Amino acid sequence: MQFLKSLLALSLFVGMSNAVFAEEEGPFSKGSTAKTFGFQEEEKALFTGKVVDVLCEISGDCADNCGNGDRLLGIVRDADNKLILPLKNGQFSFNGPVEDLLPYCGRAVDVDGIMVGDAEVYGSKFYMVQKIRDAGAPEFRKANLWTKAWAKRNEESAKKKGPWFRKDPRVLRQIEATGYFGLGHEADRKYAAENQ
Amino acid sequence: MFKRLMGSAAIVVATMLPQPGFANTSAQLIEIKGEVIDTWCYFSGVMGGEDAVIGSAHHTCALWCAAGGIPVGVRTEEGDVFMVLKYSGEDILEKTDTIMEVQSDVITAKGMHYVRDGVNYLVVENVIANDGIQVLNHEDYGSVPPNSFPKNYK
Repeated sequence: MQFLKSLLALSLFVGMSNAVFAEEEGPFSKGSTAKTFGFQEEEKALFTGKVVDVLCEISGDCADNCGNGDRLLGIVRDADNKLILPLKNGQFSFNGPVEDLLPYCGRAVDVDGIMVGDAEVYGSKFYMVQKIRDAGAPEFRKANLWTKAWAKRNEESAKKKGPWFRKDPRVLRQIEATGYFGLGHEADRKYAAENQ
Repeated sequence: MFKRLMGSAAIVVATMLPQPGFANTSAQLIEIKGEVIDTWCYFSGVMGGEDAVIGSAHHTCALWCAAGGIPVGVRTEEGDVFMVLKYSGEDILEKTDTIMEVQSDVITAKGMHYVRDGVNYLVVENVIANDGIQVLNHEDYGSVPPNSFPKNYK
């Protein structure tokens, strides 16, 4: 049952687009084998670039080893020198990309994934990295390291049942303090009374 | 885009200066007011339109995403989003509660604003005010996604 609940949560996160958008062909779509989901202004993107610490790249405030997982990482694309910002890795449970990019800090990589978002409105598209390898290496590996890294950081919580986000100590402390809507427990009780 | 930015942030230093030695990047000190949001759900449309992935409706999901290392943004009333790189001296992905405590809150902050390739980045230096959660959209949308509120709440 818990597995089914987890599966539901994952499918909600990836595939619950209320509006399904048409996949578009982008300038870097050729050769991509990335999965698509019908996200907003979605297009496949396979490209080569260098993994960078974003803050270091734009301001000169640099940290050892790209911040060791504490900083946002980006990819400066070889083809046009654009700084591409990944928001998401290839996992389906609220995971960012830093664990998958960090091993390649300062190195040239090939990445495959999708660009999402309306650049006309937001100024840029943003990236979901699904696969990564050293530039020119024969095999990609999936960008799916986040949950294992979380389990390593949270050994006791990881032993409990359920997906990570339902037992993460940082999340639980906030829900304990201000409830599921962030407005206090009375707001949660009122909502439950009216809707359940 | 640039005009919208000028309208959405009170400019402390009037001129947006190119960064010496940093190609394609400009920087300025700004004061900004906006909601702390989860950027993946906002930009991707994974859970519907912009109105549903902010505020109280999306609060628990914003907590999940922030804890999950998805970049956090500050969204102004005009709809411009600034990707937060540092918050009050902490790198944004540090495993503390600092950024967790302000998810979905409307904050007023001062910090350095950088623009590179159309993306706004923000180093929040100090938070002047925190007005808490201002968008009470759970009254319209419930919890987004629905499973972010317990099915049998007690």
